[in-house]
Amino acid sequence: MKRIEAIIQPYKLDDVREALKGIGIDGMTIYDVRGHGRQKGHKEVYRGQEYEVDLLPKVKIEVVVADERVEETVKAVVDAARTGKIGDGKVFILPVDEAIRIRNADTGDGAL
Amino acid sequence: MWDLSTFHTQSMERINSAFFENGDGLAAVAARSQTVDEIVRGYIDQYVPEERQEGFAALAVGGYGRAQLFPFSDVDLLFLVRSEAEARERKDDIATLLTALWDANLRVSQSVRTPAECVRLAPDNSELHISMLDTRFLTGDRALYEDLASNRLPAFFAKERKTLLTSLVEMARQRHKTFNNTIYHLEPDIKEGPGGLRDLQLACWLSQLAHVTSDRIPGSEEFIPADFRDALAEGKRFLFAARCYLHYFSSRDNNRLAFDLQDSIADASAGASGQQRRSAADWMREYYRNVRVIDRLALRMMDEFGVQRNSLFAILRDRTSKLSNQDFSVAHGRVFFRYSQAAEQDPAILLRMFRFVARHGLPLALKTERLATAALDAFRGYVNSAPDGLWNEVADMLRQPHAYEAMTALHETGALFVLFPELEQIDCLVIRDFYHRYTVDEHSFQAIRRLKTLQDDEDALTKRFARLLAEVERPERLMLALLYHDVGKGGSGEEDHAVRSLHLLDHALERLRVPSRDAEPVRFLVESHLAMSNYITKRDISDPETIREFVDLVGTRERLRALTLMTYADTAAVNPKAMTAWRKELLWQLYLSTFNRLTANAEDRRIESDSAAPVLALGANDAERDGLRRFLKGFPLRYLRTQSPEQIKVHYEMRRELAEKSAIVHVERRDQLYDVAVVAWDRPFLFASLCGAMAGFGLNIERAEAFANEEGVILDTFSVAMSESRGGEMDETEMRSLARTLKRVVDGREDVRNVLSKRKKLFGPRGRMPIEPEVAFDNEASSRASIFHVIAEDRTGLLFDLTSAFSHHGYDIEVVLIETQGRKAIDVFYVVGPGGKLSEDECRELTDQLRGACRSKAA
Repeated sequence: MKRIEAIIQPYKLDDVREALKGIGIDGMTIYDVRGHGRQKGHKEVYRGQEYEVDLLPKVKIEVVVADERVEETVKAVVDAARTGKIGDGKVFILPVDEAIRIRNADTGDGAL
Repeated sequence: MWDLSTFHTQSMERINSAFFENGDGLAAVAARSQTVDEIVRGYIDQYVPEERQEGFAALAVGGYGRAQLFPFSDVDLLFLVRSEAEARERKDDIATLLTALWDANLRVSQSVRTPAECVRLAPDNSELHISMLDTRFLTGDRALYEDLASNRLPAFFAKERKTLLTSLVEMARQRHKTFNNTIYHLEPDIKEGPGGLRDLQLACWLSQLAHVTSDRIPGSEEFIPADFRDALAEGKRFLFAARCYLHYFSSRDNNRLAFDLQDSIADASAGASGQQRRSAADWMREYYRNVRVIDRLALRMMDEFGVQRNSLFAILRDRTSKLSNQDFSVAHGRVFFRYSQAAEQDPAILLRMFRFVARHGLPLALKTERLATAALDAFRGYVNSAPDGLWNEVADMLRQPHAYEAMTALHETGALFVLFPELEQIDCLVIRDFYHRYTVDEHSFQAIRRLKTLQDDEDALTKRFARLLAEVERPERLMLALLYHDVGKGGSGEEDHAVRSLHLLDHALERLRVPSRDAEPVRFLVESHLAMSNYITKRDISDPETIREFVDLVGTRERLRALTLMTYADTAAVNPKAMTAWRKELLWQLYLSTFNRLTANAEDRRIESDSAAPVLALGANDAERDGLRRFLKGFPLRYLRTQSPEQIKVHYEMRRELAEKSAIVHVERRDQLYDVAVVAWDRPFLFASLCGAMAGFGLNIERAEAFANEEGVILDTFSVAMSESRGGEMDETEMRSLARTLKRVVDGREDVRNVLSKRKKLFGPRGRMPIEPEVAFDNEASSRASIFHVIAEDRTGLLFDLTSAFSHHGYDIEVVLIETQGRKAIDVFYVVGPGGKLSEDECRELTDQLRGACRSKAA
């Protein structure tokens, strides 16, 4: 099992959710986050004064999938979130040791 | 052997059946208390020999002491023992009893104390003492109990009254705070929430403590104010039944009225009372009506008894009595009518009263509320027959710092729906939503509250929005829009609720006779109140195309500011945690990008035929329409967006009158300010001369805009205030004198420096921190002009000095946007030289000169 973490533009959330739903993935956790990557924020001028926007609002999506579904899941996320511009975001893939469904104690892929 | 478990289970089933038959919660809790009494008494009498009952008594305390045991509530027992030594001797008896009670499925909370321990003040455990106000004898040594109940406890409560009252009220305030001090939660806590069962009991405890004597504790409801008793009895009946249902449906001590349980209870209560089935929304409306009574009583009593008389708070509160005027007196921090017949004889006084509350934030006295409610028919007659509408009065109320408190007072007296009948559609309306915490009406009031308290927030991100609010010219428009933005949620149908809200708003605008210059911005805000939220979550706000679209939607910086604040307030009022740093940053980003685009482009874009169509339609014939077209040609698009068609028509008439004259001046009073419009043939130093002349006349320029058309006609508009040193006001003679002075200055018959020199140089009061000038130029944003931003400490003649700096170089000021916030002047100038935009070097040189002008003390 793998945990896929995607940091995306907020306005791309609906597209990514739809894409995941399209491949049969309904379960996910979503966070409102702020941060920056290589983009490192930017400067805005307001009334003649420079104003630093260093922590940019993004959305983080977490999905845990079986190993064999990692590739199609990542593709769905990347395709849906990509605009080709700086700031589109990142995807991280992390190993998951175990999953347990609290309701009935199912484990492994069956708990996803 | 007596089977406690079976007895308890069978009794509970019997009580349960009876309750679902008759819906009588009061009877159900009394019946369960009686059952538990029988169990405790029966067990002790059967298993503890009589000789061991001497010096030992079992007492019921808390809710059980009041004989109000809800189906799954804990059973609070106090074992009273004569001495600590005897407590040790009884240890086994008590342990055996507790085990038996637990085995019988009773959840017991117990304590073992001597009489002396019961009356020893524990400063950190006021709840323990308060629970003893409701002590009831069950079995054992009655003489031991009587000594406690009749002698020790009254003496203790009489002695510690102030400490306990203060502590009790402080705990209640903290509890209310966790519910954001409102009863209007969508899924309320029926026990702990404001107006819930805890508050019902709080009112009883406060009245008991306030009237306790050293030989007697009053009955629980003995000193409840007489005018509350009936409503309180009804509220109690309703809440007791509701909590019983909650316990039964949840099979546990659950007090949160979740959405699914609201459905079940609405169904079940209708069945039990034989009434027609009600919707959960209707049942919740009844819930809020009942809880509102309890909440108001609890708040009044907290205010009355919560603070010791000689405390600093009481002294400060009594100072509010100085706010008394010819209509109202203020006593103990509450508002009273000077004459009790006032509301009946002069219904207009009610509106003055709500404005008084909005200004000072003081609550109405109970008597005032009652008199106001009794005068509602007269008030309705007054509101419906006001010949000029009541917009000026309503606007004054809405722009005051405590508009939220005024809304609450309007709601409590019933006057809210007289003044704003459309709001009745969302009265206590529950719309189920995962994120929303409050009823629709309360959400709207909370949105107003959020804006009014914006400046109190220390968060750096929030402060940006607070600064924005300080720049809003007529905040009452924004407040009216917040009041009506969700009123359409009360209707049904396919239409978007914003469309329905707009429709209902139109009724209100007509009834209140809101002039179009105020009405249109309010309509825009209500119609567009969801737009900004949608843009920040659904659109790429870093995309210039998105910003261009949004610029087209908002049109002007004034609308953008108001819509940004509307979105902030609307989001923040969803629930206390909804306005996250994440959302604030996104909202600010959209504001910023749009503001910059508007500053850069909107003033660049010139009026075209299609955008001027609504104004051209005002022309009576082709010749007049042609004239209007020529007048508008060359003005920036901003002119159409900031002026109403009626104002544009006035300016056009001034242009027609201008002909061979050098200038036409129009001065008009508007509330505390004066609108000055000047139409003249353009010439160098014109705008600077006008600014100087007005400063010389003793006027402070709050806002100004300057435009020029292709005919070489300039239109300069000013909002000005007469300085306090000149009395703060102009009469008709002075207004005419101002117009003459401005004309003479434009004609060149009077040198503006002479006018200005008559004026004493004014600076801010000494000792204040000076405002360091900020001057910057932007040569990229506009394709036509160089833009100069100036922020500086305002002073007499500042604008004259700044604009003269441009004119000395022979530069034209194409557009000027002037704002004044307290001591701070915020000015933007769009400047062109003979060859169009200035060079970078020219901009830098001018920037230095402007900075020098800001620091200069000579006007």
